[in-house]
Amino acid sequence: MSESLEQSFVKQLKDNQNIIHKICRLYTSGEDAHKDLFQEITIQLWKAFPKFRGESKFSTWAYRVALNTAITLYRKSTRSISTVEYESRSFFISQEDYNSEEEEQLKLMYQAVHQLNDIEKALIFMYLEDKDYTEIAETLGISEVNARVKMNRIKGKLKKILNP
Amino acid sequence: MMEELDLLKKDWKKNENSFEQVSETSIYKMIHKRSSSIVKLILIISILEFILWNVISFFFLGDGYIKKKYGNDIFKYVVEINTVYNVINYIVVACFIYLFYKNYKRISTTTSTKQLMNDILKTRRTVLYYVWFNILFFVFGSLVILYVQLNYDSKYLKIIEKIHQDNSNLLLLKSVGIVLGSLLIIVILIWLFYKLLYGILLRKLNKNYKELEKIDL
Repeated sequence: MSESLEQSFVKQLKDNQNIIHKICRLYTSGEDAHKDLFQEITIQLWKAFPKFRGESKFSTWAYRVALNTAITLYRKSTRSISTVEYESRSFFISQEDYNSEEEEQLKLMYQAVHQLNDIEKALIFMYLEDKDYTEIAETLGISEVNARVKMNRIKGKLKKILNP
Repeated sequence: MMEELDLLKKDWKKNENSFEQVSETSIYKMIHKRSSSIVKLILIISILEFILWNVISFFFLGDGYIKKKYGNDIFKYVVEINTVYNVINYIVVACFIYLFYKNYKRISTTTSTKQLMNDILKTRRTVLYYVWFNILFFVFGSLVILYVQLNYDSKYLKIIEKIHQDNSNLLLLKSVGIVLGSLLIIVILIWLFYKLLYGILLRKLNKNYKELEKIDL
C-alpha cells in the first residue's frame, strides 16, 4: 500500500513535471536556481500528497501547490528588487523561423515578466497556460473579479516596463 | 500590449517540451533528500570530532602532560595504558565512521519509504551506540588508571595506609566520594557534549521519520 502511494506520486510527478519546469522558468534565472526550485517544489508536493485525495486532477492540484511554494519561497528569499541579468539564452531555443525583430521583442517581454512580483508572476503564468479566470481565482485563492483586476494591472505594468 | 502577450504565449507554448526531463530515480532522491543530508552531517561531524580529539591529544596531552599529572610513580604505566587505549579507540571510532558512511550511502540511494524508515532507525541506533561507546570506554579507562594509582602511586598508597591505620570510615567514604563524584561529573559533561552535537540532528531525523510514518499509513 505504502509503496504504491509513493510510486504513484513519483510516476504522476514525472509525467507532469513540465508544470514545475515552467514555474521554475518564470521564477528563477540560471540552471542551479531552476534545479533548486524544482527540488523544493517536489518536496512540498510530496509532503502535501497524502492530503490529495484525487478529487481533482493531479495536474490541477500540482499547479496550486507548486505555485504557492514558488510564491512563498520568492517572498522569503528576495524582498529586494531582482536585478539579476536575465540569461536569455536558456529560454530561447534559437528557432530559425524567428525574425530578429520578433526575437528582440520576445526577449524584452521575458525580461519584463521577470521584473514582476511573486503574485503577478503567478497570474501571468496561469495566463500563459491558458487558464480561465475561474481557475486562476481558485488556484490563487482570490476572487474572480480580483483576478481580472490584477491581470489588467499587470498588463499595464508590463506596458510601462516595455515603454518607459 | 495584447499583441506582445500573444507573441509571448506562442513562444511559451513552443518551448513547452524543451525541458530536460527529470527521471523517476531523481525524484525519489529528491523526496528523500532531507534525511540524507542530515545523515551526511552526522558523518561529517563524527569525522571532525575525531580529528579534533586527535589534534587536542597530540598537542596538549603528550607524555609531558601525563608525567606532570600523574607523577613519577606511575608515569610509565599511564603512558602504556594511554597507548593501548588510543589504539583501541582509533580502531573502534574508525569502524563507527565507516558505519556512518555506510548509513549515508544507503539513505542517499534508497528508493523506498519503508527502506528509508529502516535506515533512519539504523542510523539513530548507530549514533546511540557511538555515544555509549565513548562514555563507557572513558569510564573503563579511568577505572584502569585508578587501579594502577591505588596499587602503585605513593600518594594513594599513603591514603590507603591511613585508612587502615585509623580504621577511618569517614576518610574512606570521602575518598570514594571524591573519585566517583569527579568521574560522574566528567561523564555528564561528555554526555552533554554529545547530546548537543548529535541530539539536534537526531531530533530532526526523528521528525522526518514521523512524517514518513504519516505517509506510510
